[in-house]
Amino acid sequence: MKQNKLINAVLLAAVLLFLSAPAFSQEIRGLALWEAIKPESKIPLSIWIEEGVDWLAVNLSSFFDSITYLVNSIRDFFFSFFSFFPVLTVNLFGASLYIPVLALVLALVAYLVSNWKVSVFTFFSLVLIFMLGLWQETIQTFSLTLTAAFITLVLAIPLGILAGKSDFVEVGVRPILDFMQTMPVFVYLIPAVMFFGIGVAPGVIATIIFALPPAVRLTALGLRELPVEIVEAGKSFGCNAFELLWKVELPMARPSIMAGVNQSIMMCLSMVVIAALIGAGGLGGEVVRGIQRMMVGRGMVAGIAVVIVAVILDRMTRYVGQVKKGRR
Amino acid sequence: MIKVEHIYKVFGEKPEEAIRLVKEGKSKKEIHTETGKVVAVDDVSFEVKEGELFVVMGLSGSGKSTLLRCINRLIEPTLGKVFLKVDNKQLEITSLKKRELREIRKNMVSMVFQSFALFPHKTVLSNVTFGMEVQKKEKKYRQEKARQILNMVGLEEWANSYPSHLSGGMQQRVGLGRALATEAKALLMDEPFSGLDPLIRMRMQDELLKLQGKLQKTIIFVTHDLDEALKLGNRIAIMENGQIVQMGTAEEIILNPKTEYVAKFVENADASGVITAETIVRTIPECSLPLQKVCKKGEEKPYLIDEERQIYLSVDGEMRAKKAQISGKDLPIRVIGEEEKIAQEGKEERYLSAVKSKVVLRDIIKIMMGANLPLVLVLSNEGRLKGVITEKPLFQIILKEHAKGSEE
Repeated sequence: MKQNKLINAVLLAAVLLFLSAPAFSQEIRGLALWEAIKPESKIPLSIWIEEGVDWLAVNLSSFFDSITYLVNSIRDFFFSFFSFFPVLTVNLFGASLYIPVLALVLALVAYLVSNWKVSVFTFFSLVLIFMLGLWQETIQTFSLTLTAAFITLVLAIPLGILAGKSDFVEVGVRPILDFMQTMPVFVYLIPAVMFFGIGVAPGVIATIIFALPPAVRLTALGLRELPVEIVEAGKSFGCNAFELLWKVELPMARPSIMAGVNQSIMMCLSMVVIAALIGAGGLGGEVVRGIQRMMVGRGMVAGIAVVIVAVILDRMTRYVGQVKKGRR
Repeated sequence: MIKVEHIYKVFGEKPEEAIRLVKEGKSKKEIHTETGKVVAVDDVSFEVKEGELFVVMGLSGSGKSTLLRCINRLIEPTLGKVFLKVDNKQLEITSLKKRELREIRKNMVSMVFQSFALFPHKTVLSNVTFGMEVQKKEKKYRQEKARQILNMVGLEEWANSYPSHLSGGMQQRVGLGRALATEAKALLMDEPFSGLDPLIRMRMQDELLKLQGKLQKTIIFVTHDLDEALKLGNRIAIMENGQIVQMGTAEEIILNPKTEYVAKFVENADASGVITAETIVRTIPECSLPLQKVCKKGEEKPYLIDEERQIYLSVDGEMRAKKAQISGKDLPIRVIGEEEKIAQEGKEERYLSAVKSKVVLRDIIKIMMGANLPLVLVLSNEGRLKGVITEKPLFQIILKEHAKGSEE
């Protein structure tokens, strides 16, 4: 087998060399390689794409508007919810300390889903953010991230289940996911603005595209890597496909699915910051303003706040997958 | 209750050609090189009666687990039929639709797995209730039944633990309990004890036998361990290369291995728990013949059963042992039941012991030691004398020399 391949390759190389021999001696030689292509023979892919995007932006505008509306509503829901909590003021040795009630609530949630260390960290870091004067932006970033993560997971988990169950879907979805994941993230921002205008919606949509793959992949992987005998056990008791999925496979794949959820949320956060470039606001907006005005401190402080939000989100979602395994 | 007819399983797409080659009599190796397909099960047929514990024994790769899965169609057989008879209704499992098949799996046939295959996210209790949940039984019934089952397998205190907290033996008890909870009449067991330590394995075997004595399920038990097969199986099928090479009771297989493969297996098997008094009398001429010759109908006269020790035995017309004498002195006859604890320490008092025909070799030896006489009478269930076992044939049988002799 291997020898055959080697012989084939050598033969093929010989033929190619023979056929292309004239080219080496002609006028092309001596020119830089990139100059070899004449402008008129270039494939105008970029023009096609622009025309296609323009066409979509015009003809499907009401469709995109409805999506904008949906995204905005979800974001507004989260934002209003977080803004609902008041702030306590405590006078301590003459200085006033502000304690947002939301920090207490999140600390409690952190305690419930993970442990007291995360809880303590959550509380103090959120108080710190408030004292840095970045509360409003942080809440915006929180709501944006949750909006994007929510929509991502609503799409990704069912898709992941389909891909985990059917080879056909898996084969179809895999290259699309690869494309979505490896495409430089900034590239999504341009068409997003064309479809959804400047603001929150394009940022969230670009974020979703960026954050979708890991959740889909890890859900599918979780389902595919289940021990054969356990799935057989489910079948041997007469489960139908839905019962098998609901009672056996999804609970068993939970750690993997939760790892996907965690990754997706983290990717949402990182992308939400980038999306500030197209007006998504929040902490990312502060970072962008810091860059634009060359204000090192302002950018850095906002960056620190992003890191804090990232740690809180990561620790909270990381432990959700483990707690219910019943190994306490 | 379960009947399997000419089952074939070929792995790989488009198995028709492989089947054709199999039927032409080509070997599996040839088929594999020619078509790339693997023939896992090759024309297997057998029938398991209700309440029987049927063991399929074979080494790994012999196709035994595949065969087992063909019965409840976790693996679809390529060719052949599987029948299940319940309450005088015969169902062809292989022709059922998916929905009907699920009903069978829910209510009629449940399964126990080698790796236990417990659901790690469920407690012991909810593992046991799983089958009943799928059956859509009421919650109250499920809880009650599960408690009862856990009680039966000795795990009631562990109801709320998770499987990962349990030892292997305990986990498999849960697996067994889960299978029993659906009240299915048939159990498929795929090497259930192979993953356990030897001591635990033996204990689980004993417990399975005890449970089976109570519940009388129809069990198909797959194993690669011959001693396990001999201990558990009412009947045993030995598989090699996807085919059943021999099928029969433990005794039949030990005494008359049909192929060299089986013979090799059986060579080192412990026969002492398998061979019964009945078989010894039947297969060894010295144990049975002389008695028939001497005792004529209606006659009652002492017969010399041991020349060296001068032991005489009187028998009545119905072949019941009446009186025994040793060197002119009376020798008491003691019938030792199957259940009775067999005394091991040599007592001063001598007696002639008698056993029922189903007592196994191991126990016969113990009885001989207890009685200080290397001599045991064998009685039928009605108490009629069938033969006398002395030490020489016993040694023969232990060395399995009789097997050659009886075949000639």
